[in-house]
Amino acid sequence: METVKKRKYSRQKKENIYGYLFILPYLAGFFIFQGFPFLIAMVLGFTDVSYISKIQNATFVGFQNFVKFFRDEYALAALGRTGLYSLIYVPLIMVCGFVIAYLVNKGIHFKKLVRSMFFLPYVSNMVAVAVVFKLLLGPGGPVINLLMRLGMENPPYLLYGLHTALPTVVVIAVWKGLGLNFITYLAALQNVDNSLIEAAQIDGATKMQRIRHIVIPMVSPTTFFLMISSVITSLQNFTTIQALTAGGPGQSTTVMSINIIRTSFSNFQTGYASAQALVMFLIVLVFTVIQWRGQNKWVNY
Amino acid sequence: MKKDNYVIREKITSWVITAVLIGIGILCIYPFLFMLSSSFKISGEVLQYPIKLIPDKIVLSNYTDLFGDPYYNFGRWYINTIVMTVTTILLKIFVVTITAYAFAKIKFQGRNIVFLMLLSALMIPGDIMLIPRYIIFKQIDIIDKMWSLVLPATFDVYFVFMVRQAFVSIPDSLSEAAEIDGCNHFQIYSRIVLPLAKPSIVTMVLFTFVWSWNDYMGPYLFITSIEKQMLSVGIKLFTEGQVTDPALQMSAATIVLIPILVLFFFSQKYFVEGVSNTGVKG
Repeated sequence: METVKKRKYSRQKKENIYGYLFILPYLAGFFIFQGFPFLIAMVLGFTDVSYISKIQNATFVGFQNFVKFFRDEYALAALGRTGLYSLIYVPLIMVCGFVIAYLVNKGIHFKKLVRSMFFLPYVSNMVAVAVVFKLLLGPGGPVINLLMRLGMENPPYLLYGLHTALPTVVVIAVWKGLGLNFITYLAALQNVDNSLIEAAQIDGATKMQRIRHIVIPMVSPTTFFLMISSVITSLQNFTTIQALTAGGPGQSTTVMSINIIRTSFSNFQTGYASAQALVMFLIVLVFTVIQWRGQNKWVNY
Repeated sequence: MKKDNYVIREKITSWVITAVLIGIGILCIYPFLFMLSSSFKISGEVLQYPIKLIPDKIVLSNYTDLFGDPYYNFGRWYINTIVMTVTTILLKIFVVTITAYAFAKIKFQGRNIVFLMLLSALMIPGDIMLIPRYIIFKQIDIIDKMWSLVLPATFDVYFVFMVRQAFVSIPDSLSEAAEIDGCNHFQIYSRIVLPLAKPSIVTMVLFTFVWSWNDYMGPYLFITSIEKQMLSVGIKLFTEGQVTDPALQMSAATIVLIPILVLFFFSQKYFVEGVSNTGVKG
């Protein structure tokens, strides 16, 4: 009896040693590169630290940075642009992703070819792609030329116009990210039970009714997942915008992410930039919680 | 008779939808076609209208000019990016899989609490950590070194979660049998579990390649000297310096994209299945 207990005890001890030995490298790295930076991020927003000065010289300033943010019209305008960006990006990418996946799933020819065509932009390098788009949409470029041929006297300089730059950037971002939503929806649609749809068909449901009342509810968990990740992607849009317009022309595409990096690394106000990043984080958190809370109203598991 | 009509109608619809989707698909890949064809054109022809996707005369001079540029050292950036990407992948395979193994197959005390703690980190948007990382990297002196890009990518939470799921689905009876035969955990991990979870590891490798290769924010913030730069930032510096020559810009864009496009074409199946099985994040 005694020895069995002892053996069991020593076995658990061995498991503990192995377990922690195996996760130790990861835990150490995780703490240094993910956990600790997150804790620092929480603190920095309350200091006046600058990226050129020593961190030891920073002092606590309480909520000063946050007060400053709500009086800073440039930062608030950037926040507004981020909102506008998400407001166009999220519905556009969700609807396009679903419609294309639905059509592909209906049974088309050359399925693999079509699938790759839509997925290709997702793996490409944004900076390289931006070079191409700038040339395609730029002055003297083919798109402008085409619009002029079509009879437009002053065609809009899409990426280079004060009012057109932000929508153009969003459309390019949707082009880039669409593949992910499309493929995920396609996988979900392939799991939809066909017998339900056929039953509805026999009962005389029209095509639109079948989509609205059967297909859409059945892929709602996927919609939920994609919506949360699309919202987060749309808020963290630094690379896309920096590569395409770098925030210009004027301030027209200066969204929060661009403003934060600029505040920290060009204006050296790292503490203030961190406070803005914290505001962004809270916004993401609030939206995620709202979506999480709302899910049982429309998500069917 | 009625049935036949229905079948014919369905057939026509499916061909119409195919044609429409291929049309939109061509629009989707048009920037790549334009880029590739322009990179073989003489400069004057790039912005000519209407666009000819097959150049009048195919020239290679853009590529030789690109690699011969004395200031913008593309060859150097290429090697930097390959070394950085491969290092990240190798480190990540080891660190992530051994951690996932522990969480899936070793019943150590506190396992669930630690795992939940890691999972909650998935909720934190990466952007918020950039400034603190810069400060930490300065302290541990890896600013302007490849490690400032490799290390944060190595300790990825997402793939620990995903690979663990794959390990969990491998039956415990297999590892128990090996244990009776005298294998220790490391042997079970390397000889049994790892080979069986190949699809999810391949998915991780592919996505790590794509993310590291395409990363712009990391090198933009953490790499300061031009000879240590990566392709993403390099090509931006280059195209902003060489505004006058569109053909040269297109060949620069092409050489950044070629490895990714080749990788994609040869591993499409894994890519697409990887996404649909796991819903990989953006």
